[in-house]
This record gives sequence, structure tokens and C-alpha cells, in this order.
Amino acid sequence: MTRSTSRGAQLATDTVEDLTRGDGPILKVEELFLYFRASYGVVQAVADASFELGRGRTVALLGESGCGKTSLARAILRLLPRNVETYRGRVFLDGRDIMKFSDERFRREVRWREISMVSQAAMNALNPVLKVGFQVAEPLLLNHKTGKQEAYDRARDVFRVVGVPQDFMNRYAFELSGGMRQRVIIAMALITSPSLVILDEPTSALDVLTQAGIMNALKKIKHELGQSFMLITHDIATSSELADEVVCMYAGQIVEHSKAERFYREPLHPYAEKLMASVPTLREDKRLDFIPGQPPSLFDPPAGCRFAERCHKRFERCAEDPPLFVHGDETVRCWLYEKG
Amino acid sequence: MKTKTMPSLMVEETEDRTLLAVKDLRTWFELKRWGFISVGFVRAVDGVSFDLKRGEAVTIVGESGSGKTTLLRTILGLARPTGGEMFFAGRRLNGDRGQMERDLTWLRWQTGFVQQDPYGALAPFMNIRRILMEPLIINKVNKAEREQRIRESLEEVRLIPVDEFLPKFPHMLSGGQQQRVVVARALLLHPMLIAADEPVSMLDASVRVEILELMSRIQKTHQLGVIYITHDLSSVRYFSERAFVMYAGKLVEKAECKEIVHNTLHPYTQVLLRAIPDPEPENVAQMRDIPAGEPPSLIHPPSGCRFHPRCPHIIEGLCDVDEPPEFEPIPGHFVECWLYKDNGSPGTE
Ligand SMILES: Nc1ncnc2c1ncn2[C@@H]1O[C@H](COP(=O)(O)OP(=O)(O)OP(=O)(O)O)[C@@H](O)[C@H]1O
Ligand SMILES: Nc1ncnc2c1ncn2[C@@H]1O[C@H](COP(=O)(O)OP(=O)(O)OP(=O)(O)O)[C@@H](O)[C@H]1O
Ligand SMILES: [Mg+2]
Ligand SMILES: [Mg+2]
Repeated sequence: MTRSTSRGAQLATDTVEDLTRGDGPILKVEELFLYFRASYGVVQAVADASFELGRGRTVALLGESGCGKTSLARAILRLLPRNVETYRGRVFLDGRDIMKFSDERFRREVRWREISMVSQAAMNALNPVLKVGFQVAEPLLLNHKTGKQEAYDRARDVFRVVGVPQDFMNRYAFELSGGMRQRVIIAMALITSPSLVILDEPTSALDVLTQAGIMNALKKIKHELGQSFMLITHDIATSSELADEVVCMYAGQIVEHSKAERFYREPLHPYAEKLMASVPTLREDKRLDFIPGQPPSLFDPPAGCRFAERCHKRFERCAEDPPLFVHGDETVRCWLYEKG
Repeated sequence: MKTKTMPSLMVEETEDRTLLAVKDLRTWFELKRWGFISVGFVRAVDGVSFDLKRGEAVTIVGESGSGKTTLLRTILGLARPTGGEMFFAGRRLNGDRGQMERDLTWLRWQTGFVQQDPYGALAPFMNIRRILMEPLIINKVNKAEREQRIRESLEEVRLIPVDEFLPKFPHMLSGGQQQRVVVARALLLHPMLIAADEPVSMLDASVRVEILELMSRIQKTHQLGVIYITHDLSSVRYFSERAFVMYAGKLVEKAECKEIVHNTLHPYTQVLLRAIPDPEPENVAQMRDIPAGEPPSLIHPPSGCRFHPRCPHIIEGLCDVDEPPEFEPIPGHFVECWLYKDNGSPGTE
């Protein structure tokens, strides 16, 4: 292995541990459902999602396209389209059940202030006629009634944190490279000092070096500011740059929630195992594998385990719907882990 | 039809293993102000040389804007080269101007293009039969043969039973199945070379492996040349024998994949490799080492070596002044970098 040559500076890890010593989890999701109404039926985008996230920790939300990652994030942040069919469950932020909040209270106290989100492809949504410095300061000016001077000072701070030169504050979006625009978007999500930041595919449209630069910036933020992150991506190798733990989704359901050490080395769920086997590695020799077939329709998911049809470890039990089993520190939705 | 198959027959007689040879190829785009005043050139491909054997797969890797697609389009006869030489199946292309159009048309015939764009490579309003019929009609394949070819190529990409897929529209297929239709379309005209262009990857890892494996199998059974373009260095050695690293319009390093990864010579390739994570839990505790600066302008590229402004090993007075020629410090391993001026004779690929 040539690992030693491929590493940069070692980060101090003690700060992270301090932050995880908070009281309860920052986020706890219980039996969350989000279904959409569509012309030919109901799309079960998020079905029975439960997991929790510790303070100062980062969870990567992985799974193939269309499995419901963005929908889960939107359900947590109550950013819903018009065609919602079912929306229920419990979401605890720092111990408070925010599902019980009125829309008005949710908007005032939770969204942006406590949880912010960088949407998929947001870097193309910057306003072309406003300077990016103003766009970053805007959430403070609007929602928090902060003075102009203070808001701009704060914007300068977050620009430094994400690694954008100060004089870029006066530029327009089109004057920035893709990587710089993405950093500006992340700065926007950080300016209100939320305790949880959701990043939906923050680097998947960017080059390797740009991507590495942004991941470095996010690592620094994580250590300096102690925020919790939820990183949504289908780029598994890159997710390991930031993730302390992994939530893996398949066809609208959470199928595994594991510590990073477990998930990237030896995941529990057969789907996760196959998913990891399809990730090419640069330094280590391995045989690449793929999952034959395709995921089931979310209109009419099969009875029993949703992965059974494609699973190499299927057995009779799989005809029944598996619950989430606790397996050591991990949870996994698979009959193989049924006790006794 | 007759004239089109002739050149390849000629080559089989000469027993030449080289399918494609490219020498000092340049493709520049003229930049115009108000539509007619020339204000300079985008040197998208600027002095590229390599060759590809029959049945060989190579990968070109490079960052966005380094000129990969332009190089591919030139090789496929879809963009007109500004200079340099190209030989395909023993036939010299782009000689004089009158000949060039005919050459490029012939070239398009011998090559298939797999545009790896999951959203938009297939026309949404056409069913699969229609999508595959189109190129056959355009290329005047006779009616009797069309149906046969469509079936063959769908079977080749394992979209079976064929009759089930023929009437379907792209939106009824998964991303992976759509990609397979694109591969089937590239195979229709029985090309000698297939080129696959993968933009910043939006495909799921599993789907990607499935497609790459499919292409790899077809390459081996039909002895096709394959040129595969990607941003992702970590995947190259699984599906190709050699890799070329492209930076600012040039191929700065060319070697067998395992040489590129384990015996990296060019400082740019080294930088690129360091930036790529493997999925390991230890990654969270380390910062990645990346160079300052951004890729250079292709309109006013830096003097000397194009990587010198970002290079950690710059030799002042040389790298910033003279463009490095190609050295071959290890047989079969080519690098355009002054660091190897003493232990490598200038290469002659
Ligand atoms: N507003 C909507 N109305 C109906 N269906 C929807 C809506 N939004 C999403 N869906 C469907 O819900 C499912 C989950 O979508 P979602 O965007 O959450 O997936 P994802 O995991 O984020 O995928 P990707 O990786 O492609 O972003 C998909 O089948 C999608 O088509
Ligand atoms: N038709 C054209 N006219 C002018 N400039 C062009 C044209 N096509 C490409 N270019 C320029 O040539 C350069 C190389 O582009 P090219 O698309 O070949 O890069 P690439 O390596 O394929 O990038 P990506 O990985 O983003 O697809 C870019 O600066 C691009 O803007
Ligand atoms: Mg999404
Ligand atoms: Mg391209």
C-alpha cells in the first residue's frame, strides 16, 4: 500500500471527541414517512425511516439514484412539494419534536437557523445579478435582523472558513469557477451557525482536485465549528472523507446504519456489501462487482424485503418484511441479523 | 458500401496491429469577436501523439476542460483537426483539404460513440427500435439487414428478450438499460473503434461497473479498439491496459495503468492521485494535499510547461521557459516533464 505518500497533514482528533460528548443526539428521526401523489399512484419515497445523529458528527446518506435520499432530507427540513400524500413521523432536534411545530414556528426557529441545507445543484441557482457577498449575508439580514455591518463581518468569516478569498465578496456568480461557487453556497448554509447542515451532492459535479479542496474545507469546518453534517451523495469514496457514520438507503427504506469503520470495510446488509463491491479503489486490488437487475418501483414495492429479488443471500424468511434489527452498535434491515 | 469496406480489407493484408495512430494532433477553436474578427484560439488539443492497437483499450483521464472530448471528437471525425496527422487502419487521414471531408465521413463509419450522459443521450420521443433504426437509415444499410443488425446489437448488450425492449421508450428504462441502448447504437455499424465519453459521473457505481464490464466483454470478443474518457483515475485500471493523462490540451503521461498508479512520473499525475480517496474510514482524520491554483487558460497557456505555475518540482529557468518534449525514462512509459531529461531519451512514440 502506498497510503503514507497519499496523505496530507494529520488532523487532531481530540476536538471531535469533545463535541460528541453533548447530552442527547442532535437529531433523532422516528418512523418518518413521506409519500408523493403521482398520476399513476403513490410514490413511497421515504418509508419508515428511523435513525439518530450525535452532536458534532457527520452521517453520510448513501444509496443509488432515486432511493429517496433527497426526499428524506426534505422530510426532515419540511421542504415539501404540493403533491404530498403522506407525511408523518417524529423528528427530534436537540430533544424537541419539531414535527409538532407550526409551519410558521418551523420557519422561524428551525429552517436555516438550526438546520440548513445545500440543495442538489444549488451552485447553478446563485442569483446572477447580486454580488455573492450579499447573497451569503442575506439570510442574516432577512431572518435574524442582524445589522448590516455585523452581517458582512460574519460573511467575511464564513468566506475564510470555506476558503474563498475576501475580495470575492464583491464578485458575481458568473465570475467564479464551479468550485468557488460551491464554496459560496456552503458559506450561505453556514452563516446562521446552524447546528445541523445538510449537504445534498455538494461535490458530484466537480473535478477531482476541486472536490478534494471542498472536502478539505468541510473537514476544517467540522473541526473548527463543531457542526453536525448530513452528507447526501452517491459518490461512496468521497463520502468517506467526512463520514463518521453511514446511513444506507434502498428503495425508500433505511437498510443499514453503521459506523464508518464498519460500513466502508465490512457492511452488514447484502445490498451495502454489493454497493461497496462496485466502488473502484485506486490503491488496493479488488474485483469489481455490480448488482444485477434494477431497484423495485416505489409505486408498488414488493411485499417482504425490497432487496430480496436481487439479493445473493436470499432465503425463505425474506418473503416477510424485515424490521430494523440491532446488531452491536449498528442497525440493519435484514433477516440475517434476526436474533435466536 | 463497397468503397467503405475496402480500406479495412487492405489493412488486414498488411498485418498491421496498429488501429489508430495520432501524431502531433492539434484541434484549435478560433475565438471571434462580433462573429468575424479573430481574437485568438482555444487550444483544446495541442500536440497530442499516441497509438492504439487493434483490440486494445485505453483510458484518457483529465480534469474538466482539459480537452478530452475535443480529442475524442477529432479522432471520431466529428471535429476538424487544425494540424497533425492521423492514421486509421493503415489509412492516412486529413491530407489535403478536398480529401478531408471524405476521410472524416469514412472515419465516422468505422467508429462508434458512446456518449455517457444518462440524461439526454437518447431522444425521449423515439422508441428503442426507432432510435436504433435511425443510424442504419442514415448510413444506407439495406432494409433486409437493418432488423438483423438491431437484434444482434440488442442481444450483444443483453437487452433480452429483444421484442420486449424494441417498442419501449427511454423513460421506461432504468439508467443502466438506457446506457446499454447507447452502447448497442454504437455497435450497430460494426465499428473497429468505440469511444466512450463519461462526463463528471452522475451514474451510480453499480450501473457504471455494469456498463464498463459490458463494454470490456464486447471489446474482447470483437477485438475492438476502445478509448474511454473519464475524470476518475481510480477506475482506469479495471477496464483498460494503458492510461493517458491529459492536462491543458496535452497528454502529459502515457503508460500502462499500473505504471501510472504505482510508478507515477509526472508531477501533475502525482497531484491527481493524491487527491483521490479510496473508501476508507481513516480519510476523515486527514487533510488531502492539493496544489494551489487552477488549470491554465487554453487561450493563453503558460510559457514552457503548462503545469509549471502549480508544480512543486519546478526547475526555474527551464520549466517556465521551454516546453518539455516527451521523455521515455522507462520503456513504454512516456512523460512530458523536464525532471526526466537526464534519465530518459526523448521518446519516439
Ligand atoms: N415531488 C415528487 N413527486 C413525485 N415523485 C417524486 C417527487 N420527488 C421525488 N419523487 C420520487 O421519489 C423517489 C425518491 O426521489 P429522491 O429525489 O428522494 O431520490 P434521491 O435518492 O435523492 O435520488 P438522486 O440520487 O437521483 O438525487 C424517486 O422515485 C422520485 O422520482
Ligand atoms: N466548439 C467549441 N468552440 C470553442 N471552444 C470549444 C469548443 N468545444 C470545446 N471548446 C473549449 O475547448 C476546451 C476543451 O473542451 P473539452 O470539452 O474538450 O474538455 P473536456 O476535457 O471534455 O471537459 P469535460 O471533462 O468537462 O467534458 C474548453 O476550454 C472548451 O471550452
Ligand atoms: Mg437527490
Ligand atoms: Mg468532455
